[in-house]
Amino acid sequence: MAVRLAQEWFAICGGCEVTILDIGEPLLDILPKLEIVHMPVLMDHKLFGQTGEGTTAEIPQADVGIISGGIRNEENKHLAQEMRKKCKTLIAMGSCACYGGIPALANLLTTDDIYEKVYRGSITTDSAATPKEDIPALTDRVYAVNEVVPVDLMLPGCPTPADMVADALTALLEGKPFTLPTKSVCDECPTIREKKAVTTLTRPLERPEFAVGKPLNEMRCLMEQGFLCQGPATRAGCGGHEGIPRCIRAYMPCRGCFGPLTEKANPMVDMMGALASIGLDPKVIPDRAATFNRFVGAGGRLRPLPRR
Amino acid sequence: MGEQTNGFEPLIITFCCYWCAYAGADLAGTSRIQYPPNIRIIRVQCSGMVHPNLIIEALTNGADGVLLLGCHPGDCHYLEGNRRAQARAEAVTLMLQDFGLEPERFRLEWVSASEAPRFAQVVTEMVEQIKKLGPSPYRTQ
Repeated sequence: MAVRLAQEWFAICGGCEVTILDIGEPLLDILPKLEIVHMPVLMDHKLFGQTGEGTTAEIPQADVGIISGGIRNEENKHLAQEMRKKCKTLIAMGSCACYGGIPALANLLTTDDIYEKVYRGSITTDSAATPKEDIPALTDRVYAVNEVVPVDLMLPGCPTPADMVADALTALLEGKPFTLPTKSVCDECPTIREKKAVTTLTRPLERPEFAVGKPLNEMRCLMEQGFLCQGPATRAGCGGHEGIPRCIRAYMPCRGCFGPLTEKANPMVDMMGALASIGLDPKVIPDRAATFNRFVGAGGRLRPLPRR
Repeated sequence: MGEQTNGFEPLIITFCCYWCAYAGADLAGTSRIQYPPNIRIIRVQCSGMVHPNLIIEALTNGADGVLLLGCHPGDCHYLEGNRRAQARAEAVTLMLQDFGLEPERFRLEWVSASEAPRFAQVVTEMVEQIKKLGPSPYRTQ
């Protein structure tokens, strides 16, 4: 019997759904074992019944549920609870579902400030009242899925690497356990580390020193070249089966999409502590809260500054 | 917060390095020097081992202030642990704003093993400072 799969998306760009396609050939082995019962991005399945006869948004019973995206409004919250009720195993897929992701950068502002800016504050916008009818109200901040309902498996990443999605689904279908790597990005990074010291910062879009065509293990660590690389405070695994961190493969520093190594950790505190200890003046780091919590703003890591 | 300061007794977590500040605190005790009872001393081997994580965690879990006391520069038993503490202290001060806390809630001071009066003075000043600021917004009771 096929495993019933439900998928729902909340505050997200849709990149994680594309990743499911990006699995490629292994998807051909997985698909016949799955029966997709609900997936807004893929099929026309209405929440209130096919003719709109229902009174509450409902999701069919499923064995596996995948949620991508963080909780941004009351509708998201209701559907997340509905998914938890109807799905035996619930997977949070992507950094948005696991840690709030990019949308959670909005947690630096209060919802009132956001409404003010979007509907009245911007000079290119005609002022209007905040819409209230027929749309779900925003929650007070962006929540990660596991702040609202318990989640059985977290697959972080922006987007989650296709290899990891395939491995997790395969493990689930075969009834085997699946665990995330417990190492940091630096443990997987092949670049050369010479000495632990950073004294000046380079702007992120400048060109690092590397020889085109030469393997990465001949390039010097990007952090040592002065780029803010979040590898030390970020979970490994983004490289998929190839094992080399994705951003490093593109000669870019890690931006921390896999989230911290332990659930309660705050990457900003870790990174600021580490950088200050190796000789960098902490004042030169631009916009530290958002830079180091770029993908992990839910869970109370980003909050509006109190007015004094 | 001003109205709550009446009768407010702050709780200040104090990290003392084993070689200087803890001995200084000990001496303050044996010399019977008076200082406010609002501090809770945690002995650490070196001020340089107190990672910003610990300070932020203490403050976000309800401590009203954190004192970090180490050896005077140049006197560190581990050569440059206190220099490292100083470098990190700047980072901590910056980050407190991101957590919505006043930078004055954290203070790094040097107290040698013989400076018992100075230990008492630093503690007294800190307690007065925190009383002025009022309870931490993270405090639950």
